[in-house]
Amino acid sequence: MSASPRPSPAQAQTQARLDRLRGRALPVNHNARTIAALAANPGCSRRALMDAAGVDKQQVATHVGFPAPFGQSQFAIARGNAFEAQVKEGGAAQLLTLLREHLGLDVGQAHYHDLNDVGGNEAALVRHGRTRQLLTGAALSAPGEATGTMFDHPMLRLAVGGRHAYLEPDLIALQYQGRFHVVEIKSFAIIDGQADPAKVAAAAIQSAVYVHALRDLLGGDQGRVHYETILVAPRDFSSQPTVSTVDVRRQLTVLRRQLDRIASVEGLLDLYPAELTFDLDPDPGGRPQRPPGELAGAIGQVTANYTPDCLATCDLCFLCRDEAAGTTGALGRSVRTDLGGVEHAGQVLGLAAGTLPPSQERAEIAAQLTRAARLRTELLGTQLLGTQLLNTDLAT
Amino acid sequence: MAETIEALERRIDGLRVAVREAVLAGDRALASAHRASLKRAEQAWEDALVTATAPDAQTAPHAQAASQPGQATHPQAREPAEPTGSLLPLREQVYEALSLLQVPAAPKLIATVHEAFFGATFPTSRVTSLKRDEERSFRAAPFSRPYYICAALSADYLAPSRGLLAVSTWPLERRAIGSLSPRVDFLTAAIRVAEAIERIPEPPPAARRLLQRFAASIPGASSPGPATVKEAAAAELTVHKDADDRARGAAAARARPLAGAEQLFGTMSFRELAIQTSGRTAGRAAAE
Repeated sequence: MSASPRPSPAQAQTQARLDRLRGRALPVNHNARTIAALAANPGCSRRALMDAAGVDKQQVATHVGFPAPFGQSQFAIARGNAFEAQVKEGGAAQLLTLLREHLGLDVGQAHYHDLNDVGGNEAALVRHGRTRQLLTGAALSAPGEATGTMFDHPMLRLAVGGRHAYLEPDLIALQYQGRFHVVEIKSFAIIDGQADPAKVAAAAIQSAVYVHALRDLLGGDQGRVHYETILVAPRDFSSQPTVSTVDVRRQLTVLRRQLDRIASVEGLLDLYPAELTFDLDPDPGGRPQRPPGELAGAIGQVTANYTPDCLATCDLCFLCRDEAAGTTGALGRSVRTDLGGVEHAGQVLGLAAGTLPPSQERAEIAAQLTRAARLRTELLGTQLLGTQLLNTDLAT
Repeated sequence: MAETIEALERRIDGLRVAVREAVLAGDRALASAHRASLKRAEQAWEDALVTATAPDAQTAPHAQAASQPGQATHPQAREPAEPTGSLLPLREQVYEALSLLQVPAAPKLIATVHEAFFGATFPTSRVTSLKRDEERSFRAAPFSRPYYICAALSADYLAPSRGLLAVSTWPLERRAIGSLSPRVDFLTAAIRVAEAIERIPEPPPAARRLLQRFAASIPGASSPGPATVKEAAAAELTVHKDADDRARGAAAARARPLAGAEQLFGTMSFRELAIQTSGRTAGRAAAE
C-alpha cells in the first residue's frame, strides 16, 4: 500500500512522537476538504500538529464536550449531486459543449473515461492505479491519436504527513496538444457573472489541492497541469451550467508551504513535552475513558489560532472559540489586524475609555480608540459600556 | 403512434413464444405470468389501434384521465386510471424506449424518452432493480425470454458499464462501450429521437423538449428542428465513427468467448476481487 521510502532515524523518531500524540486511535486520513482547511488557517499550531499526527479531531472535540455539528447539509449534497449528474449526462454532453467553447477543444476530442469504478471495483487503490495508467497514457499519446479528454472522478493521491490521502476531483479535462485542466463542478449559482466569494475561495483551494496532486502524479511537471482551473456552476437562477476560470497560483503556494510545514513537523514538536498525548484511552468497546479535563489540559498546551472562519472548516472550532472568548482574534481577522497588539476586548475598551493607561507601543492605537469612543458618545449620547468587564478582565 | 403498435406486435409475438416454451417446459407459474403479460399486451394493442384510427381523439384518454382525479369518489375503481402510469410491465416500457433509441442508455434518458413518445413515465429507481431481476431470471432459465434488459459492457474490463442499460438482442458491438462511445451514443440517440419526431404528425411538447436538450449539446444544431439536429449530429458522428467502431469491434471480439450470463451482464471477476479486498480497504474508503 504505502509506497513511501524507508524512513531515516530522525524521521522514525518524529513518527514515533506523532504516534504517541495520536495514542491508540487509528490515524485519520486527509481528504481534499481537510487539506484545504489546513491551508485556510496556516497559523494554527494546534491544527497543524493534530493533522500531522492524524488525530481524530471530531472524537477529541466530542470527548471534551465541544462536539461540532459538522458536515455538509443533506440538501446541499443532494443538490450538488443532481447538478453534477445533469452536466455529466450523456457522456458529459453539457460539459463537453462548455469545454469546447472554453478550451477550444477539437471536435475529435470527445473521449470520456469513467473512473468511478474499475470493472465494478470501487477500491481507492485500484481506482488510483487505473487513473495513473490512463492519465499518463493520455499525457504521452501522440498529438494525432488522443486517447482521453474527460476523466470522470479520477482518484489522485497526495502524501500528507507520511500517509497517503486519496482525492477525487469531479473531472479532469485534457486540452488538445496541451495541458490538463482540473474541472470542479459546484452547485452554487453564478449570478450575473458573480458568485459568493467565500464559496469561490473554498472551491479554489480545493481545486489547488487537486492541481498539486495531479502534478505529483505526472512526475512533478509543473507545465503539464494548468494553474487555471475551471469552475462549472449553474448560471443565474436556471440550472444551465456556465463556466469560469479560477487562477489558483496563490492557493498553490500556500498549500505547498503548508505541506512542507507538515513534513517538517519536528520543529513544532520540539516546543512541547515528549509525554504530550491526545489519547482517548478507549475501553475494549471503543468508548473513551480518559478524564475530559485531562484531555482538555493536553489540548490547551498547544496554542490555537482561532478565527471565525474555523467554524466552517475545523472540528475543534467550538473548543477554540470558547478558549478565545474575550480576545480580539475571536472577532475576526480584520478586527485583529485593526487592533494590532491589543489582545483582549477588555483592554480595547479600557484604552478607549481612558481607564487603562496606554504603554508606549500602544499609544497610537489608544489615541484612535479614544477618538472612536468620543464619536460614539457624541452620536449615541451614552457612555462606553464595559468598565465592569474591564476590571474583571484585567484582574485575570 | 404507429411505433407503439409495431412494438406491441413484436412483443405479442415474443410473448406467445414464451408462453409456448413455458408450457412445454412444464413451468406453470412462468406460463401464467407470460399469459397475463400477453393479455395485457393484446389489450394495449387494441387501445393503441383505437387511438391510431381516431387521431382527433388522440388526447382524449389523457383528458379523461386528467379530469378523473377531481371526481374520484371511488378510490378503488376498476382499473385505476393514472395519467402518467402505463399498463405495460416496466421491462417492456424500458424495452420500448431502448428500441426507439437503439443505443445503450441511462435510466433517466430511458424514462424521459418513454414519457415523451409513449406518454407514460416510471421512477428511475425501479430500473436499477429491473436489471438485477433480469439477471436472476436469465441465470435461472437462460434464453427463456425473447429478450432481456441487460448491461452495456465497458470495453476495457468487459464489466457492466455503470448506469447503462441495453437489450440482449443487440449485436455485441453496440453494447460495448469504449472511450468515444458515450459521445457516439449521445449523437446516435439524438438522431433517433429526431427521426421519431419526424414520424409523428404533431409531436408532443415533451418530445420537442427532449430534442431541444439534445440540440443544445451538439455543435451546429442551434435551431432545434429535427432535420437540423439530424444533420449536425451526423456531421460530428463522421469524426468519431471509425475510431469508435474499431474500439467497439475489438471489445466485442474479446467478449464473444464469454459465457451467456457474463456476455449479457458483464464479467464478475473484478467485482469479486473487490469483495475480497474490501476488507482491507474498508478503513481507507470510510475515511474518504
